[in-house]
Amino acid sequence: MDLSLVERENVLLGQDFLTWLWFKTDSENILFALEDKRTFALQMEQRVSVQGGEGEGVETATVSSPRGELTEAKTGLRTGKKVNKAQLLFTMDQDDWLVQVNAADFGLSGLKTPKIATKDDEGDDPDAKFLEKMFLMERCLEMLDIVFAQFLKIRMTKEWIEETAKIKLWING
Amino acid sequence: MSILSASLGLTRYRIIEDVPKDLLQQIPEKLNKFCFVDIDATADERSFGWSNIDDMLDMNWTQSPPEKAEYFTFGLRLDTRRIPPAVLKKHYTIALNKELEHNKEQGKNFVSRDRKRELKEQVTLRLRARTLPIPAMFDIIWNPASNKIYLTTTNSKVRALFEDYFTLTFDLNLEPLTPFFMAMDVLGEDAAPKLENLDPTIFV
Repeated sequence: MDLSLVERENVLLGQDFLTWLWFKTDSENILFALEDKRTFALQMEQRVSVQGGEGEGVETATVSSPRGELTEAKTGLRTGKKVNKAQLLFTMDQDDWLVQVNAADFGLSGLKTPKIATKDDEGDDPDAKFLEKMFLMERCLEMLDIVFAQFLKIRMTKEWIEETAKIKLWING
Repeated sequence: MSILSASLGLTRYRIIEDVPKDLLQQIPEKLNKFCFVDIDATADERSFGWSNIDDMLDMNWTQSPPEKAEYFTFGLRLDTRRIPPAVLKKHYTIALNKELEHNKEQGKNFVSRDRKRELKEQVTLRLRARTLPIPAMFDIIWNPASNKIYLTTTNSKVRALFEDYFTLTFDLNLEPLTPFFMAMDVLGEDAAPKLENLDPTIFV
């Protein structure tokens, strides 16, 4: 497959996804459901970066705000920019996962799972910490994948036209 | 183990081919064959290879096996020698001055271009032999049940190195789970033409 085409589609899908996600999480309090029917919430956190333009004219604006008001990044959306990096906070039951997602390649950074026990008790499986961490990490990826699949369902159908109109209203609102 | 760190960088892959069962059994053997080779005693610029995820000094998996429950785990160790540019410049200048002096004695007022290049190479090699390699470790976790591989970095150079070395070791090709390939995974191969012809959304 043509790699430059893949790259184009990666950016396109990734940026549409994160922009949609910001709209979705900002305008309503939605719960997503895992396969086992357990629900989780998702929020855009503190840090978001928006990007627009092409080639040498690419412009990026990164905004971080401890209170989560990302007004200036939203102004960027109004000029046609899209979200290219976002920090997501997943909450399930009492647990939080924080992760920064890069739109172009879905590279994940600053992935923080709920804390795992750091002390080794005698008689513990030496791999216990690793396995607990893997469980928590894969849970985070599962949540991210579910949200992305939900986006795709809308993005690939006529529903997207309606959704785009809503996002437009939200951006200008 | 960087996978245990509180804040983690992560790249996800899937293996394109079907993985034969007997290959899974050969993983420890293949890791051993392509393990990291130490360069402390040489002047090599860099070396890379697999090592034990629990201990980067263990290239024979004597501390623990690569299998952890349903996962296969190993580390990509990468040692690099870096000569600080200022150090190289200084020692190259010293060598060049010495050469120039020597040439002057022979009635020649310059150092040729080829000789300059040669001097730089000699100095680099000499300094490299005196510089200790900087070790780095990246964790790899392979989940055969879900056909996923995790690499604990998003650094593009390390990613490329890992992808090539993985293919060389196991004769399997990796596909990074970027938005496009993720979408193919979710929607199936039939969606490919539709995905390839998507138009960017204009929100404003």
